Amino acid sequence: MKRKIILALLPIAVFLLGWEVAARLEWINPVLFPAPSAILSELVDLFVKGLPVQSELIKHTLATLKRLGVGFSIGALIGIFMGVAMGLSNPLFHFFNPLILVLMSIPGIALAPLFIIWLGFGDPTIITLGALSTFFPVVYSTTTGVRSVDKQMVRAAQIMGATPLQVITSVYIPWSAAFVFNGVKLGLARGWMTVIAVEFVAASNYGLGYMIWYATEQLKADVVYAGILVMILIYAILDKLLIKNIEKSTIARWGMITQKQDG
Amino acid sequence: MVKRNQKPQLLSARLKNTLDFVFPFLVVGFVWELVVRTGIVQLHSLPAPSTLLAKFWQLAFVSGVLWKHLASSLYRLFAGYLLAVVIGTAIGALLAQKQVLHNLFEPTLNLLMSVPTIAWIPIFLITLGLGDKTVIMAIFTSSFFAITYNTMRGIEMIDKSIVNAAHLMGLHGLRLFLEVLLPASMLSIINGLRLAIGYAWRALVGGELLAAMIEWGLGKMVYQARYFNDASVMLLGLLIIGLTGYLLDTAFLTILERNTVEKWGMAAKK
Repeated sequence: MKRKIILALLPIAVFLLGWEVAARLEWINPVLFPAPSAILSELVDLFVKGLPVQSELIKHTLATLKRLGVGFSIGALIGIFMGVAMGLSNPLFHFFNPLILVLMSIPGIALAPLFIIWLGFGDPTIITLGALSTFFPVVYSTTTGVRSVDKQMVRAAQIMGATPLQVITSVYIPWSAAFVFNGVKLGLARGWMTVIAVEFVAASNYGLGYMIWYATEQLKADVVYAGILVMILIYAILDKLLIKNIEKSTIARWGMITQKQDG
Repeated sequence: MVKRNQKPQLLSARLKNTLDFVFPFLVVGFVWELVVRTGIVQLHSLPAPSTLLAKFWQLAFVSGVLWKHLASSLYRLFAGYLLAVVIGTAIGALLAQKQVLHNLFEPTLNLLMSVPTIAWIPIFLITLGLGDKTVIMAIFTSSFFAITYNTMRGIEMIDKSIVNAAHLMGLHGLRLFLEVLLPASMLSIINGLRLAIGYAWRALVGGELLAAMIEWGLGKMVYQARYFNDASVMLLGLLIIGLTGYLLDTAFLTILERNTVEKWGMAAKK
């Protein structure tokens, strides 16, 4: 086990060390590839500067998280409702499925120019696009999940006297929960990516994406790398801690998915 | 006998499927046209479908720029994607050979696979410049990890006795890879290819939008229309982006699937 961890860390350590040395000795252009230590110190600087109220990094990160939170909640909620409706009704499914398949293939950032015309720069555009990119994966997998419910289970519940609403809440929803979860997970990933990407082009003054993009245009490579590092870290936290914990207390406990044994 | 009867049936079924697919777009288009024409919704810069069609005609057959945009997008996509397929499967196969290699690189690969595409673009923009290289590299990077990982997993899941049997029969090296390992892991590899084409498509459009030195490409077409506040070009570009992305996923990969794993009986026909 210990050996495994050491082996896993080895390539990363070698890579970072090689980069550090190459940047220090200027074998590679340190303006474009600042040493990992320089990136780290820039990250600390961004965090510490103006602490606690005016901390650059916290301000940008909170702005992005707020947009993601609002957009994601709206997108996921509408997606689940619509997915259940499409799963239950065949005509609805046949009508909306082609539309969703095509619209789902449009990356969120491509919609940014159009929504900038419609809604202007800033929060409305970013939140709407975050909601849209969350919506599609959620509606897609919820539909698939509800459509995969065994019809015999539904009939069994009906024979036992369940009302239509009860059939939905106690047969359809638990049965398709694993699918819904997958969709929500994917939706969160897409939403996060889209919010950052749209912030590149549509944010007025705050947001992680805005910070990264502004630094790109100024060729401040250390800020770019630091910002991307934060972005990846936050995504990992959202995915690993938040979603995994909810999963553990719901569908994994119901035995819908087998949990992987870590370690 | 059976075969002769099958073909026309299949054709009419396919036609019906296509019609079913197109029908919702026609309905939405019709309602949209009605809403704009009658002025119920007066959203500034929401062109009617008839305007879009006229624009399409103009861009596609009068000036012809649409094809140039589409062609340069597809060129970039395939340059980056094919590179990722070739290098990704090769490295994936290599990593699956030795347990040590797997232990060394699997966690790193897993980590890099979860890095969002959009994170790579700023890095490549500052290191590789604002042109084609950046976009192709972003496409390559976003698809490479998914392909490598899935190839590795696929080959590792092959029944060891099959590999041993091939060894006994004298197959080694490249021939072993091409004739045994590749077909046996095709299911997992196709999964990787499917994931990767989605990532690649996103990377392409995002890269084209953000890389300032690029003149042609669907992403650029949408972005450039912003300077003229031309919503019809944007909507048209978005529709083409959506449709092309969808067709890439279904057409290309379904054909691949049908000719490999389904023909070999490894996966059920849909």
